[in-house]
Amino acid sequence: MRALALLLCVFLIAAAAPRVCAQRPPFDPYVADARIDRLERWLKAVARHEPGTSDDEAVEVGSWAQPDLQLLWLDIDVLVTMMRHPGQLRFSIKLPSQRAPVDVHFTTAQLRRLRAMACAAVGIVADRRCLDDKYAVDRDAELLRLSALATASRAAGDGDNFILRRGALLHADVAMRVAHDVVEPASTPPPFGPQRFKMQIADGRQTDFGQVAVHWEIARMALDAVKPPGTDQPAPGRDAMVRLWYRATAAWMQQVEDHDTVHLDHAREIFPADGDILFLSGAQHETYAGAQIQSAVQTAVLPSGVSFAVESERGELRQAEGFLRRAVEVDPNHAEARLRLGRVLGLLGRHADAARELRQALASVDAEVLRYYGELFLGAEEEALAHYDAAFDAYQRAAVLYPTAQSPWLALSSLGHRRGDRAAAQQALQQLFDLPSDPLERDEPWWTYHVAQARNADDLLEALRRPFLAEPER
Amino acid sequence: MRTLAALLAVLLLSPAVAGTQNPVFSAKVEMVRVDALVTEHENGPAIVGLGPSDFEVYDNGVLQQVDLVSFDQVPLNVILTLDMSDSVAGERLDHLRGAGAALLAALKDQDQAALVTFSQLVALGAGLTKDVAPVRRAIDEAAGSGDTALIDGTYAAITLGESDAGRALVIVFSDGVDTSSWLPQEAVLDAARRSDAVVYAVSTRSRLKPEFLRQVTSLTGGRLFEVERTATLGAILISVLEEFRRRYLISFTPRGVEKNGWHRLEVRLKGRRANVKARPGYLAGGS
Repeated sequence: MRALALLLCVFLIAAAAPRVCAQRPPFDPYVADARIDRLERWLKAVARHEPGTSDDEAVEVGSWAQPDLQLLWLDIDVLVTMMRHPGQLRFSIKLPSQRAPVDVHFTTAQLRRLRAMACAAVGIVADRRCLDDKYAVDRDAELLRLSALATASRAAGDGDNFILRRGALLHADVAMRVAHDVVEPASTPPPFGPQRFKMQIADGRQTDFGQVAVHWEIARMALDAVKPPGTDQPAPGRDAMVRLWYRATAAWMQQVEDHDTVHLDHAREIFPADGDILFLSGAQHETYAGAQIQSAVQTAVLPSGVSFAVESERGELRQAEGFLRRAVEVDPNHAEARLRLGRVLGLLGRHADAARELRQALASVDAEVLRYYGELFLGAEEEALAHYDAAFDAYQRAAVLYPTAQSPWLALSSLGHRRGDRAAAQQALQQLFDLPSDPLERDEPWWTYHVAQARNADDLLEALRRPFLAEPER
Repeated sequence: MRTLAALLAVLLLSPAVAGTQNPVFSAKVEMVRVDALVTEHENGPAIVGLGPSDFEVYDNGVLQQVDLVSFDQVPLNVILTLDMSDSVAGERLDHLRGAGAALLAALKDQDQAALVTFSQLVALGAGLTKDVAPVRRAIDEAAGSGDTALIDGTYAAITLGESDAGRALVIVFSDGVDTSSWLPQEAVLDAARRSDAVVYAVSTRSRLKPEFLRQVTSLTGGRLFEVERTATLGAILISVLEEFRRRYLISFTPRGVEKNGWHRLEVRLKGRRANVKARPGYLAGGS
């Protein structure tokens, strides 16, 4: 069964939270030792995890309960602060939904453990600010190994980013490979931090709703702290790995139809002029305008206070147009973005503009599947413009490209009707009926148009992980 | 039967197979057929025994000469159009098969049946035939999987209905919203306006209104049934067939009106109050 999902992330604190749960426990600013233990386990899992696998580390992190992950999200933030400022003694956090920061209190013993972990994570255990706690690292083989890896990363010119990049890779793997299908009831009161909701959809209807683990939120937070080589402040927008991470993970989400608006919104905040990220943003809103999402959102039964930020069909198409137009402005050679722009313009009723963009896209696309889409969409626009001969020719070219596809024959038959030629309508319909009735023998790219923009997701993920893979043992 | 043969000869003039890629398009309207259900009142008993002189047909407000009225004489072409997407599985599929078999059993010898199935794939399960066995076999073999191309499937059924001179009754069953059609809804409604086929539809009730089915049934003079459970499907299909058999087939050659474009139709009984359910108009010529 083809199932897709809409995802929503909200940050919860005090009164700013949606009314998902009637009783939410108050935030406790005092940190329990168990949280420090979990942070240490997390740090070691990050160091050991082999990117692209569902190894023991991914499974362990994937097994952590939602409230624990929400606190981990908070504690990683503290850890990163300490990595950058090992002498810091007071910590506060500020969430998007709150006005003033909230203090987080640690005991002296907890601070010493935190500092030891932070120094190991950065590979600076010999730094004078870390010397007091160095014994804690020296006694722990795993922290020592982590420190050595981080030191090597620093020596290679990547500063203190080792644990941030690895952490993002681990949580992405957990989200993609371990916890992807796990949906919990939405009634669990979240103590603090981000909360992620997922509505599952099949055949245009909501089939499930619940909360899912905040692995993507943790991964994004880690990458927000990345300082590219040559910079002394976090600047993820200048980092090639972060860029590739967003391109690859956003493509993966669209490939598996996990539609997460926040993920791409955040990607565009960091990379406002990235053609590929703009392209995927446009494709996402084009998908939101489609019947699967529109009908599911219109009929969804959601808890009070929760809504998915999906606009009307027309509103989504306008957003898609905006992103796709910017994509082709940034990269005029992005033929696939232009092709989708053409389709979106056609759906908005601007047929002459649509046909012009589609012709321009068709002049430069090589991939057969894109040529098919282009011809099919161009045929529809020519038909809307009453250029029936041109429409006929475009549909015919699409039929030649994919001889077992049904859409060109439906289009040709409908065109026959439109021209008042029942014989032509019948003839094209007969061609459709003559196609194999087994879906496996039909090659119809229209059926996968909603994920076609992400067909390179696997290649992108492989390119992302390659620099982080262990050398094969000799 | 002589009158029936004459009618068929006229109607068969228009459908011909074009063999070229650049066909010549014509906008001729030889004869218009209108299927009409005449009842005492809304949902009341059917009025039978009427002849051409009992009807008044207005084409764009111009009174027309009714050439022929037949009742339960012209064989039916019943095109079962079944949703075979993911959501139709298990008990629902069993009900669908049972309902299909019941409908086929109720057909007369001269009637024909066909099966069009759709998930995202539109397929002809069995072409129009008087032998219902292959249709029944195709229904039994159909299985649910994939998305829902309701609009594409309905289009295929309407167009198939035009391929033969019999009275086309298209019965669509769907329990989902359209999620994967290529054709836009408006193109199919446009084809329905040009077609003689009458579309009846059965949809399972949900929070989302079956707007497309409501429009296509209304445009063709058919009816939409929204059901809570598919267990009643067999009885509904039989009632559709019975209702269709009580309809009059009225034909006329338009006079005094423009050939092309939308023709608003009005069918009344002369000197008698009655409820007449017929398609609201027809589209002639190319657009």
